[in-house]
Amino acid sequence: MKQRLLSALTIVVLVCLTTTTSCQDQLNLEDASTPLAIGLDLNEDNQFEFYTSTPIFSKNIKKKSLEISGTARTLRQSRALQNAQSPGSAQGRNYQVLLVGKRILQHEDWITMLDIIFRDARNTVTDRVIAVEGSVSEIMLLNPPDQPMLPILLRGMINTSSGSSETVSTTAQELRRQYYEKGMTPSISQVKVKDNSVLVTGTTLLHKGGKFAASLGYQESILLNILQNNARSGVSLSYAIPGKPQTGPFHTDMISFTAQKLATKIKTSYKRSRFQFDIKLKIAAALTEILFPLTIQQDYKKLEPIIAEQVKLQTEAMLKKFQSHKIDPVGFGLNARAYQYQQYKKVQDHWTDAIADASFHVTVEFTINSIGPIK
Amino acid sequence: MKVHPGHEITSLQYIFLLTGVQVGVAVLSLPRKLAETAGTDGWISILVWWLVSMLASLIIVQIMKNSPRGSLPDWAAEVLGVWAGKTIALLLTLYFCVLLYDGLTKSVLITKTWLLPNTPAYVITVLLLLPTYMIARHGPRIVGRYCELIVYLSLWIPLVYLLPLKQAHFIHLLPVVKDGWQPILTGAKEMIYPTLGMAATFVLYPYLKHKEKATAAVIASSSLTMLTYLFMTLICLVYYSPDEIAEYNNPVISVLKSIEFRFIERIEVPFIAFYLTIFSLVWIPTMYLATFCSSWLFARKDIRGQLQILCILIALATYFYTPTLYQNLMMEKILIGFGLSVEYIFPLILLSFIVLYNRLRRRNC
Repeated sequence: MKQRLLSALTIVVLVCLTTTTSCQDQLNLEDASTPLAIGLDLNEDNQFEFYTSTPIFSKNIKKKSLEISGTARTLRQSRALQNAQSPGSAQGRNYQVLLVGKRILQHEDWITMLDIIFRDARNTVTDRVIAVEGSVSEIMLLNPPDQPMLPILLRGMINTSSGSSETVSTTAQELRRQYYEKGMTPSISQVKVKDNSVLVTGTTLLHKGGKFAASLGYQESILLNILQNNARSGVSLSYAIPGKPQTGPFHTDMISFTAQKLATKIKTSYKRSRFQFDIKLKIAAALTEILFPLTIQQDYKKLEPIIAEQVKLQTEAMLKKFQSHKIDPVGFGLNARAYQYQQYKKVQDHWTDAIADASFHVTVEFTINSIGPIK
Repeated sequence: MKVHPGHEITSLQYIFLLTGVQVGVAVLSLPRKLAETAGTDGWISILVWWLVSMLASLIIVQIMKNSPRGSLPDWAAEVLGVWAGKTIALLLTLYFCVLLYDGLTKSVLITKTWLLPNTPAYVITVLLLLPTYMIARHGPRIVGRYCELIVYLSLWIPLVYLLPLKQAHFIHLLPVVKDGWQPILTGAKEMIYPTLGMAATFVLYPYLKHKEKATAAVIASSSLTMLTYLFMTLICLVYYSPDEIAEYNNPVISVLKSIEFRFIERIEVPFIAFYLTIFSLVWIPTMYLATFCSSWLFARKDIRGQLQILCILIALATYFYTPTLYQNLMMEKILIGFGLSVEYIFPLILLSFIVLYNRLRRRNC
């Protein structure tokens, strides 16, 4: 009897405790407003600007999203402005994409502004970070009637483009890693608005501090992914074969292939007080497009080294570009740390200077696996 | 207090109980602590300390072989007198209480950070204490069964930790032994805290069904603990950049945030809710052990009264005072010192004493 009374009493106390005090973490779905995209930019006076795009779930409203913007000192401080303009309490828990404007990328250390994303444990860290060529407001307020909501459109574009390696897929977490990792520099996806529609234009490469360094097109992005060993089989590359005739406005000297097997090996050494990276690319591919006459049975032995040479030239040009900008988006520093630790340790705090001074040797081994159903 | 029939625990339960008390909350921050001192070679420190902790647990078993039918206080009271028994019982009570309080506050702090930031700590504490009381009051067999059940229920967790490996960089681990052995050996001291809990043998040994298997059981349990630590530490080391890993308080939780499923976002939320059961493997057994020792101290047969008092005390204490993150870290430091003396140094002294004592007695005979 006494036991029962005691347990009954405990239950009553517990119910009182939980119902009266612990509702503070409760948030009803209809009271929440969950922006799916966040954009950061600077205005003409170099003031920090934020933009968010929140989906609206209502039958009677034609426009399906609500865009909020304002100037604030920090992202957390902007929460008040977000709450002031949205129907529910603004939550940072569902960001799909994080847009960064061109003007922000002209300054160093903007990545520290993202602290809230990592410090508030309830925020997602898998939002894709995207650089905007132009201003964020342009893309946020675009709202083309024939396209899905911006966050979903952007996330979808980045997912498919990075799936075929035509851009990188850098999450906020990954950006943080690339920013803190001494042996590499960050790289993020890049989009722009052209003729009232949004398109992915490749990859933005950043300096160690986060400042804009250079851009890569689609094909170079693929090569970057190949060097990072991120590219999956199925990536497609096209090259013009020198010495083949062009007819009229058509690039009839082009050849395209889909890589079926990709292997990148990087050998690291330290010679004559500089790092040396021997990069060996092995590509086994299926030819998917040949725009010039070719008798493949006889010519493919000749064709293989020609294509290999083209891949090599483009890779080398890209590496030169990295070196001239003093950036290392591939992460050669990781290799240097793993295989030449004593030397790397001396230069790790200014690794980008060391990479500008390093020498690269690229060798490409190209084999044609198949030519498709026609000769 | 002599062992009653029906309270024995199997070897498997004993293994899981020891491992549970050790792994519990300690695993969450371990990769960071190891990376802070030993860098990417932190995983070697685990292997180094594995030998030390195994030796310590073997010493404890060796001591308890002298007392197959009573706990350590029983043995001390019999051989050295009542007051020696009482001193040891008081020491163990205090030690288990600190272990329990540290585990509980860590769980509450983690719940507050990740799940319920605005809920008062005492509400969470009270809610956690209720099942604790219900399980701990039934004695070692039920506690052992609980540990076994939770271990079986958590077997899928390692599989989920394989998912972040998609973004892993195994190259981080090279070169092995980067800066010589010095940092690795310094890093080994971070392993003291995650191995605390072996002292449970002092109380649980008489309850073992198969005492002859105790040696094998402690070897198995320390190996299981070390395997868990090794696995989690390696995952974190290959996932996070070596320049960045020290920035995360609990890398074992943070690493989950990068996992993306189509059907669920923020996968760490259900995980931490489930982790509470694993954290409970620290405070439920230690709560039983603490009240066992305090009941012995006051010569009570039933631990229930002591258990109720302890629960109410903890609930009241958290109502008036909840440790902050830094106070909890301070407590951890005290616990490391306390634990090192109770689980590593004290058994060594005790064993040398027993060996000498037995030899003297034999000579006198």
